[in-house]
Amino acid sequence: MNKTTTPDRTGRQAGLGRIIIAVYGIFAISSTARAGYQILTKFDEAPLAYALSAVAAVVYIVATIALASHKPGSWRLSLAAILIELAGVVIVGILSFALPQDFAHPAVWSHFGQGYGYVPLVLPLVGLWWLFRHRETPAAPGR
Amino acid sequence: MIVDGFFIAGAIICALSVITSVVATIIRDHPDDYAIISVAAVELFLVVYGFAAAVRQGGGEAISGEPWEFWGYVATALFVPVVAFWWAVTDKTRWSNAVLAAVGLTVFVMLYRMEQIWDGAPLA
Repeated sequence: MNKTTTPDRTGRQAGLGRIIIAVYGIFAISSTARAGYQILTKFDEAPLAYALSAVAAVVYIVATIALASHKPGSWRLSLAAILIELAGVVIVGILSFALPQDFAHPAVWSHFGQGYGYVPLVLPLVGLWWLFRHRETPAAPGR
Repeated sequence: MIVDGFFIAGAIICALSVITSVVATIIRDHPDDYAIISVAAVELFLVVYGFAAAVRQGGGEAISGEPWEFWGYVATALFVPVVAFWWAVTDKTRWSNAVLAAVGLTVFVMLYRMEQIWDGAPLA
Protein backbone atom coordinates (compact mmCIF):
# COMPACT_ATOMS: atom_id res chain seq x y z
CA MET A 1 0.00 0.00 0.00
CA ASN A 2 1.21 3.49 -0.81
CA LYS A 3 2.17 5.71 2.07
CA THR A 4 1.18 9.30 1.49
CA THR A 5 1.40 12.35 3.70
CA THR A 6 -2.30 13.13 3.32
CA PRO A 7 -4.03 9.75 3.40
CA ASP A 8 -7.50 11.33 3.65
CA ARG A 9 -7.09 12.73 0.15
CA THR A 10 -5.71 9.68 -1.63
CA GLY A 11 -8.85 9.30 -3.67
CA ARG A 12 -12.55 8.87 -4.03
CA GLN A 13 -12.38 5.14 -3.21
CA ALA A 14 -10.20 5.35 -0.06
CA GLY A 15 -10.89 6.17 3.56
CA LEU A 16 -14.40 7.45 4.21
CA GLY A 17 -15.15 6.88 0.51
CA ARG A 18 -14.68 3.17 1.03
CA ILE A 19 -17.13 3.21 3.95
CA ILE A 20 -19.65 5.11 1.79
CA ILE A 21 -19.24 2.51 -1.00
CA ALA A 22 -19.77 -0.28 1.58
CA VAL A 23 -22.96 1.35 2.90
CA TYR A 24 -24.27 1.79 -0.68
CA GLY A 25 -23.41 -1.87 -1.32
CA ILE A 26 -25.35 -3.01 1.75
CA PHE A 27 -28.37 -0.94 0.61
CA ALA A 28 -28.04 -2.30 -2.94
CA ILE A 29 -28.09 -5.91 -1.73
CA SER A 30 -30.77 -5.54 0.96
CA SER A 31 -33.14 -3.35 -1.10
CA THR A 32 -32.81 -5.68 -4.11
CA ALA A 33 -33.59 -8.72 -1.96
CA ARG A 34 -36.50 -6.97 -0.26
CA ALA A 35 -37.98 -5.48 -3.43
CA GLY A 36 -37.60 -8.82 -5.22
CA TYR A 37 -39.40 -10.61 -2.40
CA GLN A 38 -42.18 -7.99 -2.22
CA ILE A 39 -42.78 -8.01 -5.97
CA LEU A 40 -42.72 -11.80 -6.31
CA THR A 41 -45.02 -12.51 -3.34
CA LYS A 42 -47.39 -9.54 -2.86
CA PHE A 43 -47.05 -7.04 -5.70
CA ASP A 44 -50.87 -6.65 -5.93
CA GLU A 45 -51.14 -5.30 -2.38
CA ALA A 46 -49.20 -2.09 -3.06
CA PRO A 47 -47.98 -1.94 -6.68
CA LEU A 48 -46.81 1.70 -6.48
CA ALA A 49 -44.78 1.30 -3.28
CA TYR A 50 -43.17 -1.94 -4.43
CA ALA A 51 -42.38 -0.62 -7.92
CA LEU A 52 -40.66 2.34 -6.28
CA SER A 53 -38.75 -0.10 -4.07
CA ALA A 54 -37.46 -1.75 -7.24
CA VAL A 55 -36.44 1.66 -8.64
CA ALA A 56 -34.59 2.39 -5.40
CA ALA A 57 -32.80 -0.96 -5.63
CA VAL A 58 -31.61 -0.21 -9.19
CA VAL A 59 -30.42 3.28 -8.17
CA TYR A 60 -28.43 1.84 -5.25
CA ILE A 61 -26.84 -0.80 -7.50
CA VAL A 62 -25.79 1.82 -10.08
CA ALA A 63 -24.50 4.18 -7.37
CA THR A 64 -22.44 1.42 -5.71
CA ILE A 65 -20.78 0.37 -8.97
CA ALA A 66 -20.18 3.97 -10.12
CA LEU A 67 -18.70 5.04 -6.78
CA ALA A 68 -16.36 2.05 -6.70
CA SER A 69 -15.30 2.41 -10.34
CA HIS A 70 -12.04 4.02 -11.44
CA LYS A 71 -13.16 4.36 -15.05
CA PRO A 72 -13.49 7.80 -16.67
CA GLY A 73 -17.06 9.02 -16.38
CA SER A 74 -17.72 7.11 -13.19
CA TRP A 75 -17.70 10.39 -11.23
CA ARG A 76 -20.49 11.78 -13.42
CA LEU A 77 -22.45 8.54 -13.23
CA SER A 78 -22.07 8.60 -9.42
CA LEU A 79 -23.34 12.18 -9.37
CA ALA A 80 -26.35 11.30 -11.55
CA ALA A 81 -27.22 8.23 -9.46
CA ILE A 82 -26.96 10.11 -6.17
CA LEU A 83 -29.02 13.05 -7.46
CA ILE A 84 -31.73 10.61 -8.61
CA GLU A 85 -31.50 8.92 -5.20
CA LEU A 86 -31.90 12.25 -3.38
CA ALA A 87 -34.82 13.28 -5.61
CA GLY A 88 -36.38 9.84 -5.09
CA VAL A 89 -36.21 9.85 -1.31
CA VAL A 90 -37.58 13.42 -1.13
CA ILE A 91 -40.40 12.88 -3.67
CA VAL A 92 -41.40 9.46 -2.33
CA GLY A 93 -41.12 10.82 1.22
CA ILE A 94 -43.53 13.66 0.42
CA LEU A 95 -45.90 11.38 -1.54
CA SER A 96 -46.01 8.86 1.31
CA PHE A 97 -47.31 11.59 3.61
CA ALA A 98 -49.61 13.14 0.96
CA LEU A 99 -51.08 9.84 -0.33
CA PRO A 100 -50.88 7.50 2.68
CA GLN A 101 -53.40 5.09 1.10
CA ASP A 102 -50.92 4.29 -1.70
CA PHE A 103 -48.03 3.80 0.73
CA ALA A 104 -49.66 1.64 3.39
CA HIS A 105 -46.93 -0.93 2.78
CA PRO A 106 -43.35 -0.15 3.71
CA ALA A 107 -40.81 0.73 1.01
CA VAL A 108 -37.20 1.89 1.27
CA TRP A 109 -37.90 5.55 0.52
CA SER A 110 -41.37 5.99 2.08
CA HIS A 111 -41.55 8.46 5.00
CA PHE A 112 -38.03 9.66 4.05
CA GLY A 113 -36.49 6.28 4.87
CA GLN A 114 -37.89 6.16 8.40
CA GLY A 115 -37.85 2.35 8.44
CA TYR A 116 -34.10 2.44 7.84
CA GLY A 117 -33.28 5.02 10.51
CA TYR A 118 -33.43 7.86 7.91
CA VAL A 119 -30.14 6.55 6.47
CA PRO A 120 -31.66 6.72 2.93
CA LEU A 121 -32.14 10.49 3.44
CA VAL A 122 -28.68 11.16 4.93
CA LEU A 123 -26.74 8.87 2.57
CA PRO A 124 -27.19 10.92 -0.65
CA LEU A 125 -26.22 14.12 1.20
CA VAL A 126 -23.04 12.47 2.49
CA GLY A 127 -22.43 11.03 -0.98
CA LEU A 128 -22.78 14.44 -2.68
CA TRP A 129 -20.48 16.09 -0.14
CA TRP A 130 -17.90 13.35 -0.70
CA LEU A 131 -18.16 13.54 -4.50
CA PHE A 132 -17.61 17.30 -4.55
CA ARG A 133 -14.62 16.94 -2.22
CA HIS A 134 -13.17 14.43 -4.68
CA ARG A 135 -13.85 15.91 -8.10
CA GLU A 136 -12.68 14.01 -11.15
CA THR A 137 -9.21 15.21 -12.06
CA PRO A 138 -8.85 15.69 -15.84
CA ALA A 139 -5.42 14.03 -16.05
CA ALA A 140 -4.38 12.21 -12.91
CA PRO A 141 -0.58 11.94 -13.03
CA GLY A 142 0.84 8.45 -12.68
CA ARG A 143 -2.48 6.64 -13.03
CA MET B 1 -31.73 -13.26 29.28
CA ILE B 2 -29.47 -14.28 32.16
CA VAL B 3 -26.44 -11.98 32.50
CA ASP B 4 -23.54 -14.39 32.99
CA GLY B 5 -19.76 -14.04 33.15
CA PHE B 6 -19.39 -14.61 29.41
CA PHE B 7 -21.75 -11.78 28.61
CA ILE B 8 -20.08 -9.37 31.07
CA ALA B 9 -16.59 -10.22 29.78
CA GLY B 10 -17.69 -9.87 26.16
CA ALA B 11 -19.47 -6.58 26.82
CA ILE B 12 -16.38 -5.11 28.52
CA ILE B 13 -14.02 -6.26 25.72
CA CYS B 14 -16.36 -4.90 23.03
CA ALA B 15 -16.81 -1.59 24.88
CA LEU B 16 -13.05 -1.12 25.32
CA SER B 17 -12.51 -1.90 21.64
CA VAL B 18 -15.15 0.63 20.55
CA ILE B 19 -13.71 3.34 22.82
CA THR B 20 -10.13 2.67 21.65
CA SER B 21 -11.14 2.70 17.98
CA VAL B 22 -13.30 5.83 18.26
CA VAL B 23 -10.44 7.68 19.98
CA ALA B 24 -8.08 6.39 17.26
CA THR B 25 -10.46 7.69 14.56
CA ILE B 26 -10.20 11.14 16.12
CA ILE B 27 -6.46 11.33 16.87
CA ARG B 28 -4.84 9.13 14.17
CA ASP B 29 -4.75 9.50 10.38
CA HIS B 30 -3.77 5.85 9.94
CA PRO B 31 -5.02 2.53 11.42
CA ASP B 32 -3.98 2.57 15.07
CA ASP B 33 -2.06 -0.40 16.53
CA TYR B 34 -4.11 -0.42 19.73
CA ALA B 35 -7.38 -0.33 17.75
CA ILE B 36 -6.21 -3.38 15.77
CA ILE B 37 -5.13 -5.14 18.97
CA SER B 38 -8.51 -4.38 20.57
CA VAL B 39 -10.28 -5.98 17.60
CA ALA B 40 -7.94 -8.98 17.91
CA ALA B 41 -9.04 -9.20 21.56
CA VAL B 42 -12.69 -9.32 20.40
CA GLU B 43 -11.79 -12.17 18.03
CA LEU B 44 -9.95 -13.99 20.82
CA PHE B 45 -12.98 -13.61 23.08
CA LEU B 46 -15.22 -15.09 20.37
CA VAL B 47 -12.88 -18.07 19.95
CA VAL B 48 -12.89 -18.69 23.73
CA TYR B 49 -16.67 -18.17 23.86
CA GLY B 50 -17.27 -20.62 21.01
CA PHE B 51 -14.89 -23.17 22.51
CA ALA B 52 -16.54 -22.87 25.95
CA ALA B 53 -19.99 -23.19 24.36
CA ALA B 54 -18.88 -26.38 22.58
CA VAL B 55 -17.51 -27.79 25.85
CA ARG B 56 -20.68 -26.88 27.75
CA GLN B 57 -22.90 -28.45 25.08
CA GLY B 58 -20.61 -31.47 24.85
CA GLY B 59 -20.97 -31.86 28.63
CA GLY B 60 -24.73 -32.11 28.31
CA GLU B 61 -25.71 -28.48 28.95
CA ALA B 62 -28.34 -28.02 26.26
CA ILE B 63 -29.12 -24.71 24.49
CA SER B 64 -32.69 -23.60 25.21
CA GLY B 65 -33.05 -22.05 21.75
CA GLU B 66 -32.11 -23.35 18.31
CA PRO B 67 -28.53 -24.71 18.21
CA TRP B 68 -28.12 -23.97 14.45
CA GLU B 69 -29.10 -20.33 15.09
CA PHE B 70 -26.61 -20.01 17.96
CA TRP B 71 -23.76 -21.54 15.95
CA GLY B 72 -24.73 -19.47 12.93
CA TYR B 73 -24.18 -16.36 15.02
CA VAL B 74 -20.87 -17.66 16.39
CA ALA B 75 -19.58 -18.50 12.90
CA THR B 76 -20.70 -15.15 11.44
CA ALA B 77 -19.35 -13.13 14.38
CA LEU B 78 -15.92 -14.76 13.96
CA PHE B 79 -15.71 -13.20 10.49
CA VAL B 80 -16.47 -9.64 11.65
CA PRO B 81 -13.07 -8.79 13.24
CA VAL B 82 -11.27 -10.57 10.38
CA VAL B 83 -13.02 -8.45 7.73
CA ALA B 84 -12.30 -5.24 9.68
CA PHE B 85 -8.64 -6.23 10.04
CA TRP B 86 -8.44 -6.86 6.29
CA TRP B 87 -10.04 -3.44 5.76
CA ALA B 88 -7.43 -1.75 8.01
CA VAL B 89 -4.57 -3.51 6.21
CA THR B 90 -5.79 -2.48 2.76
CA ASP B 91 -6.85 1.10 3.58
CA LYS B 92 -4.25 3.04 5.56
CA THR B 93 -6.47 6.01 6.38
CA ARG B 94 -8.12 7.50 9.45
CA TRP B 95 -11.41 5.87 8.49
CA SER B 96 -10.18 2.31 8.98
CA ASN B 97 -10.33 3.10 12.70
CA ALA B 98 -14.06 3.83 12.30
CA VAL B 99 -14.50 0.43 10.64
CA LEU B 100 -12.60 -1.17 13.55
CA ALA B 101 -14.96 0.69 15.94
CA ALA B 102 -17.94 -0.94 14.22
CA VAL B 103 -16.61 -4.40 15.19
CA GLY B 104 -17.23 -4.01 18.94
CA LEU B 105 -20.75 -2.68 18.34
CA THR B 106 -21.64 -5.44 15.87
CA VAL B 107 -20.18 -8.26 17.97
CA PHE B 108 -21.87 -6.93 21.12
CA VAL B 109 -25.29 -7.01 19.44
CA MET B 110 -24.58 -10.52 18.10
CA LEU B 111 -23.36 -11.68 21.53
CA TYR B 112 -26.56 -10.31 23.09
CA ARG B 113 -28.60 -12.38 20.63
CA MET B 114 -26.38 -15.47 21.21
CA GLU B 115 -27.00 -15.22 24.95
CA GLN B 116 -30.74 -14.84 24.31
CA ILE B 117 -30.75 -17.98 22.16
CA TRP B 118 -28.74 -19.87 24.79
CA ASP B 119 -31.31 -18.98 27.45
CA GLY B 120 -34.23 -19.60 25.10
CA ALA B 121 -35.55 -16.04 25.07
CA PRO B 122 -37.78 -15.16 22.09
CA LEU B 123 -36.71 -12.50 19.61
CA ALA B 124 -37.74 -9.22 21.23
